[in-house]
Amino acid sequence: MLTAEMNQQLTQIGHGTPMGTLLRRYWYPVAFTRELDEFPVRRTRLLGEDFAVFKTPNGRYGILPEACPHRKASLAYGVVEADGLRCPYHGWMFDHAGRCVDQPAERDDTNFAERVRMEAGRAQELGGLVWAYIGPPPAPELPRFDVYVMDGVRDIGWCELPCSWLQIMENAVDPHHVEWLHGRYFDFVGRHEGFTSPPSFAKKHQKIGFTAFEWGIIKRRVLEGATEENDDWKIGHPLVFPYNMRVGGSGIEQMQIRVPIDDTHTRFMLYSTHAPAGGQFWEQPAVPDYRIPWIDDNGRHIVNYVEGQDIMTWVTQGAIADRTTEHLGRSDIGVTMLRRMFKEQMEMVADGGDPLGVIREPHDRIDLPCERDKFHAGAQFALDFLAMGSSRYSPQLDALRKLHIDAAAHVADGAQAAAS
Amino acid sequence: MTEPAVQPAVAADAQPGSAADAQHDFAADAQRHRRDAPRHCPRCGASLLGGAGISVEFWQGADRIFHTWCSACRWTGDIIPTIEMTGHEPEHG
Repeated sequence: MLTAEMNQQLTQIGHGTPMGTLLRRYWYPVAFTRELDEFPVRRTRLLGEDFAVFKTPNGRYGILPEACPHRKASLAYGVVEADGLRCPYHGWMFDHAGRCVDQPAERDDTNFAERVRMEAGRAQELGGLVWAYIGPPPAPELPRFDVYVMDGVRDIGWCELPCSWLQIMENAVDPHHVEWLHGRYFDFVGRHEGFTSPPSFAKKHQKIGFTAFEWGIIKRRVLEGATEENDDWKIGHPLVFPYNMRVGGSGIEQMQIRVPIDDTHTRFMLYSTHAPAGGQFWEQPAVPDYRIPWIDDNGRHIVNYVEGQDIMTWVTQGAIADRTTEHLGRSDIGVTMLRRMFKEQMEMVADGGDPLGVIREPHDRIDLPCERDKFHAGAQFALDFLAMGSSRYSPQLDALRKLHIDAAAHVADGAQAAAS
Repeated sequence: MTEPAVQPAVAADAQPGSAADAQHDFAADAQRHRRDAPRHCPRCGASLLGGAGISVEFWQGADRIFHTWCSACRWTGDIIPTIEMTGHEPEHG
C-alpha cells in the first residue's frame, strides 16, 4: 500500500517528473529495423513524448521531436535526405544533432536557422531493433545484452497495452503468480476449452528470494520437488532495471521488454532467440515480428496462453493500478523491493549520478544470469513454451518447433554415440 | 488491544454490495496507511514526506509492516506498529 502521492511519483513518467527523469537515462527500442528499411521515417511515442525516427541513405539512424519548431507540422511525414530530415510543410531541414541547416523560404543573409535547435536524441540499431536515447548528453552505451547478439533464430512478438508499464514490471518480481495464473487458472481454462495446460507451471512455490545485482534484481524460487541446487534458485533470472525481464530455459533465451509509451500505455515485446544446443540455425535477413492478440472480438481477454493471462491481469488492474487500496503480503516482498529500488535510483539521478544499469564502457556482450533447466522440466519446457505461449502466433512456429526437436534428437544421438 | 477505529470513507447512502460501496472498498485501510505511514526517518529524523524516501506497507498476520527507505541517510528497514506486546514462556516441565 502506498500514499496517492507516492503512487503518482512512481507512475508519472512525463518530462520533468522524478520517474520520467530517471527513465530518460536509458535506451529503448522504438522501431523494428525492417520498418525503416521499408520506409525510412516513422512516428514513435516514448515516455509521453512524440518523435520522428528516421534512417538516412548512408544507414545512420536519428530521432527528433515530432513537431517541427517552425509551424509544428509532423516530421514523421518528413523527407529523409542524405544528412537529415526535412519538414514536409516548408522544407526546414534538421541534421541528426537537431541543428536547423536549411530554411528554404528565408533569405540567405539571416542567422535565423542558427537560432533554431531541436533536442535531438540518439538512435542506433541492435538485434533487429532501432533503439533511442532521449535523455541528457552524453548518451551512455547501448547495452548489448546476450539475447540481442548471440547466435540463434530470432522471433519478436509484440502488442501495445492500455496500462502503466510499472504494473507489468511489478509482475516481474512476483514469482507466486506463476503457479496460480499459469497453473491453476490455466488448468481451469483448459478444462473448459478442452486442452491440457503444462503441469510444470503449476508446481507449488516452497521458497522465493530476491537479490539486488548490477543490472537489477535476480528472482529465485524453489518449487516443490526441487532444492536450492536447482537452476531456479541457484541461478534464477533477472529483472533488468528498469524495464526488462530476462527469462528462458531449454534453449530459448528471451528478453521481455516493457517500453513506457506514456503513463497509461506500454509497448510489450517478447524478444526470443532460439538457440538450443545442437540446433541448426537459419539466416534471417530481417527479424520476423508479429502482433500478439490479447483481446477477442467480444472485448474479452484471450486467456488460453501464458502471456495472454499476464496481459489480462495487467490490464484489468486499471490504466494505473490504485496502490492506495491494495493489500500486499509477505509473498509480495519482490514488489516492495522494486518500488524501493526505483525510489533509490530516482535519488541517484537527482544527486547527479548514473542510475543502475547505465553503462558507459564500450563492450561486446553482456551476459545475464538465467536458469537453463526451467521449472526442472527439461526439454519439454521448450515445446510447452512454443505451444502455450505467445510464440503460437509466430509465423515461424512450425520451423521453431522443428528446430528444438531436431536439436534434442541431435544431442541425444551424440550422447548415445559417446556411450557406445 | 485493538487498533483505533478509522471511519471508512464510504458514501452515506452506499448500500452493502452496491457499486458505490464497492468503489470505496478498503478506503479505511488507505486512510490508516496515510495516518500511520512513517513521517520521519527513525535514524536521522529527516522528513519522509513529499516524496523524500518511500514507505511501502504490507501485511503479515496481524502486523502492518512499513518497509521504509530514507533518501537523506539511506536507512532501510521495517517499521511495525505495536498493537499488542506478546511474549513466550518456556513450557513448564
